[in-house]
Amino acid sequence: MSKIEEVKAKVEAGKSKLVPGLVQEALDAGNNPQDILDAMVESMGVVGEKFSTGEIFVPEMLIAAKAMSKGVDVLKPHLAGDGSSKLGTCIIGTVAGDLHDIGKNLVSLMIESAGFDMVDLGVDVPADTFVQAIKDNDNVKIVACSGLLTSTMPALKEAVATIKASGLTGFKVIVGGAPVTPEYATEIGADGFAPDAGTAAVKAKELAIA
Amino acid sequence: MLTKRQNLLETIKGGNPDRFVNQYEFMNLIMEAPLGAMVGPGQTIKNGWGITFTWPEGQLGGFPIHDDAHKVLKDITMWREQVKAPAVETSDEAWAAAVAHANAVDRNEEYVTAFVAPGIFEMTHHLMSMEDALMALYEEPEDMHDLIDYLVDYELAYAKEMIARLHPDCIFHHDDWGSQRSSFVSPEMFEEFFVPAYKKIYGYYKANGVELIVHHSDSYGVNLVPSMIEVGIDIWQGVMTTNNVPELIEKYGKQITFMGDIDTGVVDFPGWTPEIVAEYTQKACEECGKLYFIPNLTQGLNFSSFPGVYEEATAVIDRLSKEMF
Repeated sequence: MSKIEEVKAKVEAGKSKLVPGLVQEALDAGNNPQDILDAMVESMGVVGEKFSTGEIFVPEMLIAAKAMSKGVDVLKPHLAGDGSSKLGTCIIGTVAGDLHDIGKNLVSLMIESAGFDMVDLGVDVPADTFVQAIKDNDNVKIVACSGLLTSTMPALKEAVATIKASGLTGFKVIVGGAPVTPEYATEIGADGFAPDAGTAAVKAKELAIA
Repeated sequence: MLTKRQNLLETIKGGNPDRFVNQYEFMNLIMEAPLGAMVGPGQTIKNGWGITFTWPEGQLGGFPIHDDAHKVLKDITMWREQVKAPAVETSDEAWAAAVAHANAVDRNEEYVTAFVAPGIFEMTHHLMSMEDALMALYEEPEDMHDLIDYLVDYELAYAKEMIARLHPDCIFHHDDWGSQRSSFVSPEMFEEFFVPAYKKIYGYYKANGVELIVHHSDSYGVNLVPSMIEVGIDIWQGVMTTNNVPELIEKYGKQITFMGDIDTGVVDFPGWTPEIVAEYTQKACEECGKLYFIPNLTQGLNFSSFPGVYEEATAVIDRLSKEMF
């Protein structure tokens, strides 16, 4: 097994104590840093898919994301340019009135692992704050808004409408959360919908490179 | 006409109930017991474990705060230093209201039901955040086992006092084990960490006069049902429609009863109408049938977040009982 293959396998298995050393060994063996990063992103794609299909659960996803993050720490000084993501920036938050951050945090982890720079606005984010964050950050490609409760679905609708009415362009809006359906996402004008964290990463990537 | 208690037993034992068990009607919930501080609307409190909860105005519930300043357990390997269980209340004064309530219940009609929350899994993430708790199951399993044992010992100490005072017939025990789409942990991990804990807890209750264990988890949990049966749960309350409840009844009904199948999210919201409540309640009753099933909002207590929804569901279930039995 090549060093890069080893890195991939250990990221997928969530071996956060082993991955930094393996990444260093892969670098020492002369592998291109970008290739090592791409391999880790690919691993997280597999992790996301397994989560979406119910093959693995939240702990497995969390430790894999942590392993990748430890590997990226080793890799960062060796990456070309300023180290910023080639997929762009993703702004994420739960909509006004919604304080449920666990699902949003998982989605943030997985989108970051897919290769985005994340700007996490936290919970209970007013619609205007999403707009301001798009203005304040470079290369925003995705805005991800979530709402866990039926009672905060109107706030999700308002967030999407406000972002779309801002006149700002160059990004796509994705939505999610327990009560949100693909039909509702379309109805409120979102560009994408994801039912879980693994799918959210796939959808974000798909929309960013479209 | 059967009493509420008799009708419940006929339903969960596959006998001849004369009507649907109507939501929480069989449980006379003793909420006055000194279980520890619980946050109310508009409040921020610190409970006996040092966990800070906040319930902002306009929200449907409270949350533990897990920023660096508030997280009780910052490093799982240091749990022995950082987690200190509160003392169990043992004074007559603290238990007086609960005892008076329990003594006033007609036990032929209803179950004197002790309410216990949060559960063991919930306590792990209340202490250190969901992310830290779930990762610790992998990264520091021995410490997690030891912490869980410590939490179990605390609950058993509380249970001993509570049973001596209230002599409950039923325990209504919260512990959310999943989201609406999946369990939080795999069945294997659940078996390793939480089945032994709940075998001790529910085994203790059953060995000390409790007849009925009702466990609340308003979530998906199909993959955990064998474990629920193994630990002695008689009724899983909060079962969501994402579990395909009719299929669960078919497969496991003789071993465990399912209470719920009316998801609060689709009926309990500001724009609810009697027609919406009737539609989903009727669907649940017709699809799940008369045995091993209790129609109920998936909410973890006997009320709704928006006034009138719970009562409307009760009225619909009464009507359906007349039509279907």
